[in-house]
Amino acid sequence: MKELLTVKHLGKADILKDINFEIKEGEMVAVMGPSGSGKSTLLYNVSGMDDPDTGEVMLGDTVITGMNEDEKAELRLKRMGFVFQQMNVLENLNIIDNIVLPSLHADRKRKKEYCERAMELMEGFHIGDLAERKVSEVSGGQLQRACICRSMISEPEIIFADEPTGALNQTAATEVIESFLKINRDGTTILMVTHDSRIASMCERILYILDGEIRGELKLGKKEQNDNREREQKTVRWLAEMGW
Amino acid sequence: MIINDIKANKLVSAATCIFMAVTAMLLGLSILLYASLADSIDSLMTEAKTPDFLQMHTGELDEDDVNSFSQQREDIEAMQICTFLNLQNSQISIGNESFENNMQDNGLSCQSSLFDYLVDADNKVIYPSEGEVYVPVCYRKEYGIKSGDVMRIGKEELIVAGFLRDSQMNSMMASSKRFLISEPDYERLRQLGSEEYLIEFRLKDGSDINAFATAYKDAGLPDNGPTITYPLIRMMNALSDGMMILVILLVSVVVLLISMLCIRYIILTQLEKDKTGIGMLKAVGISRRDIRKLYMSKYLILSVVGCMTGVIAAIITAKPVGAQMRELYGNAGNTGLIYALMILGALAAEGMILLSVSRLLHRTDRISAADALYGRGSFGKKKNLWLPAMIITATAMFMILVPQNMKSTIEAPEFVTYMGIGESHIRIDVRQTGNVRKIAGEVTEDIGHDNRVRDYVLMETGSYRTILQNGSSYDLMIENGDHSRFPVRYTEGRYPENDREIALSVLNAEEMGVKLGDEIIVCKEMKDGTAEEISCSVCGIYSDITNGGKTAKACMKDPDDATPVMWSIIYLSLADEDLTREWTNEYQDRYSSFESGVKVTLIADYLKGTYGQTIRNISKAAAVSSVMACFVLFIVMLLLIRLVVWRERNDSSLKKALGFTSSDIRMEYLKKTVTYILPGIVLGVFAGIVPGQSLAALLLRSMGAYSFRFIIDPLTVFAAAPAMIAVSAVLAAILSLTEVKRIHAWECLRAGALK
Repeated sequence: MKELLTVKHLGKADILKDINFEIKEGEMVAVMGPSGSGKSTLLYNVSGMDDPDTGEVMLGDTVITGMNEDEKAELRLKRMGFVFQQMNVLENLNIIDNIVLPSLHADRKRKKEYCERAMELMEGFHIGDLAERKVSEVSGGQLQRACICRSMISEPEIIFADEPTGALNQTAATEVIESFLKINRDGTTILMVTHDSRIASMCERILYILDGEIRGELKLGKKEQNDNREREQKTVRWLAEMGW
Repeated sequence: MIINDIKANKLVSAATCIFMAVTAMLLGLSILLYASLADSIDSLMTEAKTPDFLQMHTGELDEDDVNSFSQQREDIEAMQICTFLNLQNSQISIGNESFENNMQDNGLSCQSSLFDYLVDADNKVIYPSEGEVYVPVCYRKEYGIKSGDVMRIGKEELIVAGFLRDSQMNSMMASSKRFLISEPDYERLRQLGSEEYLIEFRLKDGSDINAFATAYKDAGLPDNGPTITYPLIRMMNALSDGMMILVILLVSVVVLLISMLCIRYIILTQLEKDKTGIGMLKAVGISRRDIRKLYMSKYLILSVVGCMTGVIAAIITAKPVGAQMRELYGNAGNTGLIYALMILGALAAEGMILLSVSRLLHRTDRISAADALYGRGSFGKKKNLWLPAMIITATAMFMILVPQNMKSTIEAPEFVTYMGIGESHIRIDVRQTGNVRKIAGEVTEDIGHDNRVRDYVLMETGSYRTILQNGSSYDLMIENGDHSRFPVRYTEGRYPENDREIALSVLNAEEMGVKLGDEIIVCKEMKDGTAEEISCSVCGIYSDITNGGKTAKACMKDPDDATPVMWSIIYLSLADEDLTREWTNEYQDRYSSFESGVKVTLIADYLKGTYGQTIRNISKAAAVSSVMACFVLFIVMLLLIRLVVWRERNDSSLKKALGFTSSDIRMEYLKKTVTYILPGIVLGVFAGIVPGQSLAALLLRSMGAYSFRFIIDPLTVFAAAPAMIAVSAVLAAILSLTEVKRIHAWECLRAGALK
């Protein structure tokens, strides 16, 4: 498979030091590490939300580093999707309006098409009946699934997820990770930062970051049915070896 | 800690301080100007010993009658009869400037012997030497006159030795102006004009001026001319500058309210920002009172700086704004008290702001330490900041429009109809002549043959004794003629249509206590020496400023009526409006051959002459108010939008993370700004026309104009003013929105928690 995200010699102050990795099309990769290890900073820098001091980030053939703010904004709008730990949404909009917000901004004329797609996505994640609800009227898990719908609305090449289950209980977290697995199975590449070894074990690969450096990598392969327990055990053992 | 906080929030602290300073300045300025004006007028009227009662009289005068009347009354402190030599304006020139187009009745006087002195710039009584003339100070700037200039009256010459203040005729709203010369010069120049008498009385303290005026009339003493009293003189003096001060006061109250509103928003936002800090202070055991005190000290410091800046700015601004006032009425004597009052005013403004701050700070008590620490709870309902932006836009619009509309109204040609003058092109006054009726008749006949004249009407004014239903009698100046031709504006009812109807000016109707439909008995002096009484019903009430606002209109055309005509006015309009000036000049020349008393005036010039000073003041106030409104709006919008951007920082960051550019977000805010300022502008235009009219009517009522309606200049109201407001608001928005560029996409991920 072709490389989709390529990170070479990425450095940012003292937080990230000479980071190198690649993510192939259709892969689902987790980044793990203790608090303050530089996971979130890595995510901001590879997604173009922040500028690294050194190194290069490429999405496909496009070099992100060196782009100006507007070019990076357009890239995020059209080729990337984001899911955040705190489920950042605009409180004055209802659920469906939050989902279609980025795509509508890109092309207002296709409003009907985007709304239909949003409904399709919501149905797929079992929240179709919440479309007109206010943000305050849905649960955390439902809201996070709505955020995944938002990240998918523009059919991005890659989704960046920052602790997507961090603010959720066990049941809601399972619903959310099921949703990620579903979109990954449909072909969307995912790079996810997480603290949760159970969630990380669902990914194909895990990168372990400590003090701004990638210290190790665990290859688990594609998730298959009923292999949860085995993957989790393998992950926990590996993490213990890494000093987790 | 407080200084650090001020430094950390430079913009917000500066804006708070500016609001406090502007409020203190405007309130201080209004008080400073008002107190100075009142004090200067009082000083001038005291130094010049203004008469309490003054009767102007043209014609024969028996001094003995007046003397015996004055000896009989105990309330008279002093009495004198002064002369005023009325000159033809076309005869007068000073330097290279001719007085031909001057609207005032200009004349020569000698210094009074007992009171009613004409004084110099230091309020000292002037005694001119032979060959010298002192010119009314109001003409100094208008004609660019300086000491040493030559004043020519016909072929006679006098040297301008200086300028005089005339406590009773200083205001341009007073229709006469006295030039002071020495007694030998007066005797020499006497044949150049017609003489009028000023019968003046100073009354003992506590005397009733109205009762005295009635007694004077009842005694049948000379009264062929207007009657003027001390309160009327004081009001005329105060009005032209007083209007400007009222406008500034109005603006300062509006600014005070805006300041309080804005500072409220600033504090609420600041408290939200400091929530965790407040939680921490509470957690470590600082009392609620001490937390409030901490904030209060910051606002106290800002208030002290603001108040001091405001007071200094008020003192600096008062110089140019009050220049005309000082020239006319002199410097205020009691400066210590005036400055104390001004500082008190500024302190009162700050006090009101601090009181509202103090009340608001009680909200810090509302949330617990734990809630504040975790960023939970709120100090109040999260308010929509766009709504105040809309209200402030409307207020700024109102601040611009009310003075502008007042200005355009007073400048409009039809404004004369509020003043008791018909809307015609030209008026011809026949006064101060032995036979008004005969000369007016000749002039009317002359005009009747001029085919350029579209319409004309002759009005004859005489003094009639009237008897009210309760039996009391009253002397009325009744203007007889066809009032349907150039009608004035009637507050109630309509013009008189037959000789059994009479219309009264508002002041007369109020003083006589009559209303529409009441009957009044008018006594006519008949040719055979008898008196005839006819009953007239009051058919209309109108506003008037001429003759002290006390006039009446009727159309009694009785050939046997021998009541003397005191003066006549012919109102006329030409078929071609463009010819009016040429026609006026032509007839002025034609009648300059009459011995005196015929004055041809363009109504537009009359208005400019009478209200020029007021219009200039209102224009000044309108300009100050417009600049102020734009400045306040600019600062408020700058601040509010900054606050909105700050409050919605997370949303903007999220939008950036999702792919919006800074320009996209800025454009969204700009659209929102326009969405809210547009209704604000519409609301302001409405307020400036409808409630603004009522407010202006209140002010103009004091000038004698009743049932007032704005005559608006559509270009100003619907284009220029909205454009000024829109530009100020949008510029402020653009400047505030530069902050959007500094919001990073990753901020929402770090601070996060919107839900």
